[in-house]
Amino acid sequence: MSSRRDFLGQLWTWTGRALIAASGLVLFRALRSSAPPVREVALDAAAVARAVASGGAAIGEIFVSGTAEAPVARSLACTHLGCRVAGAPGGFACPCHGSRFDAAGAPVAGPARAALARVSLARRGDAWIARL
Amino acid sequence: MDRPPLTDAPAPRAGPPSGGFGRLSFGFLGVSVLSGVLLVPFYSPAAAWDSLENIQGGLAWGFFLRALHAYSSFAVLVTMALHVVQVLAARTERQLAAGVWWRSVILLPVTIAALLGGFVLRGDAEALAALAIWKRILESVPFAGAEIARLFLGSVPGDLGAVALHHAGTLTLLLWFFTAEHAGRLLPDVRGTVLAALVSLALAGTVPLPLGAPPAASPAHLLGPWSLLGLQGALVYLPPAAGWLLPLAFVLLLGLVRHAESPARRTLLAALAAACAVYAFFTVRVLLSAR
Ligand code: HEM
Ligand code: FES
Repeated sequence: MSSRRDFLGQLWTWTGRALIAASGLVLFRALRSSAPPVREVALDAAAVARAVASGGAAIGEIFVSGTAEAPVARSLACTHLGCRVAGAPGGFACPCHGSRFDAAGAPVAGPARAALARVSLARRGDAWIARL
Repeated sequence: MDRPPLTDAPAPRAGPPSGGFGRLSFGFLGVSVLSGVLLVPFYSPAAAWDSLENIQGGLAWGFFLRALHAYSSFAVLVTMALHVVQVLAARTERQLAAGVWWRSVILLPVTIAALLGGFVLRGDAEALAALAIWKRILESVPFAGAEIARLFLGSVPGDLGAVALHHAGTLTLLLWFFTAEHAGRLLPDVRGTVLAALVSLALAGTVPLPLGAPPAASPAHLLGPWSLLGLQGALVYLPPAAGWLLPLAFVLLLGLVRHAESPARRTLLAALAAACAVYAFFTVRVLLSAR
């Protein structure tokens, strides 16, 4: 009698564990399959021209400078832990742990060690396509 | 045959070392879950900040409901921490079976993860920064880091659906199950719930919870959730992996207390106290540097 109860108890425990594992797997697959490999962001060409004319400006998560024909884009994601940096005197500053970057995106202070990443831009119709 | 008692000492109480703060913590969890569920119809993970702006300004009692959810949730962690101190001071940790004890210890990081998830759900400038940092920390886990980050945080920029799912689903269920197992009851008791509800209502009515800066804003300083400010300060000096290694080390040390005998137990408690002091130091530092 007690061994039958033991067996049922074991069965119950293992069924529970199997269900948890199965639902974990399903969730994992569902979220995994939605991963886009490279993100493309379209920047309106007029907005890029305005940013360039003002000597460089942020458009969303990208900082655009250079010339209207050959704009240069940098990611505003801090190379320390990914917060968005903001324009500051002489370059950029990160609000999370205080990293600072010069106008060319090179790190000058704080925990960040790498320069703000360059983002490639390609012209497509009325937009510049940034590949992040 | 009834025998007379051998001593005058009161018989040890049966059951888990509930303690006042433990009950209260379960009560706050009840208030938090109830207020969270009431927020769901008005909240959109794909347009988080806009929906909160509407809850806060456009929905009657919306500001109150938000504050109720936030303050009751904060109180879950505060009372849980006090409860742990209470248990360690009374040396009652062995009243729980080893498995239950370890699951109870895991309640601490699960609560902090639920609070962090809620902070991210705000979708404001601070929330997006916290999300980016959380992602880097999870990605630093060896072998499966990128997958773990996607599993918990999703992969569609601007959509907080995965975070919302874990916040209200996985983490809340884990919290409830482990608390219920540990407390030996499925629901919080009436006294704890009433007290927790009164405290939460009073806080929500007297301390307004402001709406954060819009996601596109660029404030000079950003602060993470209050319970993680110490980690924010430590990450200035330590690599991203410290973001999961340090909490893991703390949880392991706390868990081992149950298995340690006298001198080792004292050493473990001293290490935990030192860790808390260093954490408090970094918390204050971050707060001062943001002024
Ligand atoms: C079924 C359970 C839950 C649901 C449906 C839920 C739902 C929500 C929703 C919709 C928000 C966004 C609204 C807002 O930010 O004001 C939120 C935020 C939040 N949640 Fe929950 N939640 C649940 C459980 C919990 C638990 C267990 C905790 C922690 C113990 C928690 C802590 C928080 C925190 C700290 C916030 C941010 C509040 C703020 O600062 O605005 N939630 N939750
Ligand atoms: S994320 Fe920018 S300094 Fe840490």
